[in-house]
Amino acid sequence: MIAIDGLHKRFGDVHAVRGVTFTAVDGTVTGLLGPNGAGKTTTLRMLSGLMRPDAGSIRVDDADVVADPVGAQRVMGQLPDSRGLYPRLTAREHVEYFAQLHGLDRAATRARVSALLARLGLEPLADRRVAGFSQGERTKVALARALVHAPRNVILDEPTNGLDVMSTRAVREVIRGLREEGCCVVFSSHIMQEVSALCDRIVVIAAGTVVAEGTADELRAKSGRDNLEDAFVSLVGLDVEMPA
Amino acid sequence: MSAFRLLGAVTRKELLDGLRDRRSLVTLVFSTVLTPVLLGVLLSTTAGSQRGAEDLALPVVGAEHAPAFVHWLGQQTGVRVVPGPADAEKAVLDRVEDVVLIIEPDFMERMSRAQTAEVKLVAESSRDRARPKISRVRALVGGYAGQLASLRLIARGVAPGIASPIRIEDVEVSSSQARLAALLSFLPLLLVIAGLVGGMQIAIDSTAGERERGSLEPLLLNPVPRWVIAGGKWLAASALGCASVLFSLVITVSVLRRIPWHDMGIRFRVTDGELFSLLLLLLPLAMLLAAVVLFASTFARSFKEAQGYMGMLMLVPMLPGMLATMYPLSRRPWLAPVPILGQYALASDVLGGQPPGAAGYLISGVAALICAVALVALTARAMTREHIVFGR
Repeated sequence: MIAIDGLHKRFGDVHAVRGVTFTAVDGTVTGLLGPNGAGKTTTLRMLSGLMRPDAGSIRVDDADVVADPVGAQRVMGQLPDSRGLYPRLTAREHVEYFAQLHGLDRAATRARVSALLARLGLEPLADRRVAGFSQGERTKVALARALVHAPRNVILDEPTNGLDVMSTRAVREVIRGLREEGCCVVFSSHIMQEVSALCDRIVVIAAGTVVAEGTADELRAKSGRDNLEDAFVSLVGLDVEMPA
Repeated sequence: MSAFRLLGAVTRKELLDGLRDRRSLVTLVFSTVLTPVLLGVLLSTTAGSQRGAEDLALPVVGAEHAPAFVHWLGQQTGVRVVPGPADAEKAVLDRVEDVVLIIEPDFMERMSRAQTAEVKLVAESSRDRARPKISRVRALVGGYAGQLASLRLIARGVAPGIASPIRIEDVEVSSSQARLAALLSFLPLLLVIAGLVGGMQIAIDSTAGERERGSLEPLLLNPVPRWVIAGGKWLAASALGCASVLFSLVITVSVLRRIPWHDMGIRFRVTDGELFSLLLLLLPLAMLLAAVVLFASTFARSFKEAQGYMGMLMLVPMLPGMLATMYPLSRRPWLAPVPILGQYALASDVLGGQPPGAAGYLISGVAALICAVALVALTARAMTREHIVFGR
């Protein structure tokens, strides 16, 4: 479970995150939806423990992220904004490295890595260096290493960004699988179909604050629009009357 | 989970990654092999031209004009008079000969009238290789002239001493080992640079390179203390730096052992014990330099930017090293705790045949490692800064 309360972050004069508050519970997929520059990535970076909030609290299961980031990182698996791989290492070596950093023993590592690579359809590429990998293959490798320690809480920053249809499907399958396993999944996106296809709950962020929260139906009802995209545009306040 | 197992995991990964990098391997080979080989060629040529001067085949044009002089020349040790080329200047310009002596046809006539006779010394003095030969020939002609002058004075009843109020006698006090040490003063500098360059590539790639690829953020998401991450990267860079010092030393010494030192009048003797002492001194320094590079490149956003800093960073070990070559730092044991300068001072003592005591090695090694660990701690701190973790 992830509980974020009253989060604030300033970069100089820019007040990027202004009191973001939401809770993501186990066994559900929570989508952070918002336009570019709304503060999604900044919120996720504070959640990851790498960025200190100016105010507010973040709890992941029993760990306080601000006070004990390392403890929180143990129970989180994250696909951050930058996927950054090592071009000279193979897919398997990437996943094994992160397994070692999570303290998994050798036998557990081997079994877990093979299972993950198979699940993401990376088996044929497992022992190739990632230098020549496509965008989708890179994302899958980054996802595999984020999940190697079987985390209870999974945070994905725009996981399907720049992926083709097949890769997008594979990633969606993984997200559904995680929900079935009872994980708490949070992912950010600015793509409507993505969010409506996957999310149990949607948190709409605009200009650094949460402007609406609920299921897709609740959001449609709240905004008075039938179409989720229209609902979104209305909720984030970008609603401009079209000339007739 | 012990932190040391994590440290090992980070070090292993960085070494694996670093050793697969062709760039880092090429620099490693370049820094360890090329310089010693070039130095070997340089020293061999010096030795060769020295030998050329001592075992001199002197081309003389117009030997028939001064049979006594030429006979005298031929009697000097190591001198062989050979017939000179038809066009002396062309032969020297074409580098067929280093030096040619031309005796003028009126040599005998002027000599018998007690006038100054002329010989021409054709040489190209801008050629380093020819210089020892030229000065040898000058000394020979001067010696013969001096003898003749004395004889002429004696024939006129004058004591030869009157014409030479001052005589120089060279007294060489430096031992052959000390002269060797002066020649070898470049060796510590060479090894230190090898250590710096050897570890540099992996240190830059694992910090600035990590930022450039955007892989630092995912790496730091793992539940691992920052000092373990920074420490593992340091150990990997240090391992390559130390390997580079070791290879460089082995290659340099095997090259130096093949140089004909006796031609330069030097007895080359560097014992295995002294080599081991040098390693003992320079390995902690290589680890310190790896830490310096690691720390500096953490602030660079890209590999290129970090390489830009390296030009300045190279000066850190090079300036004291060049200072040590110009103003020998030997026999200054109080320099031991000063990183870099201390190592140069103690290394010149080792090469001068007066190795410092165990305390010297211990103090200089511990001082260098303390500085290195402090820099690694600062690197770990820098890795918590948001503009470094996220700034690309």
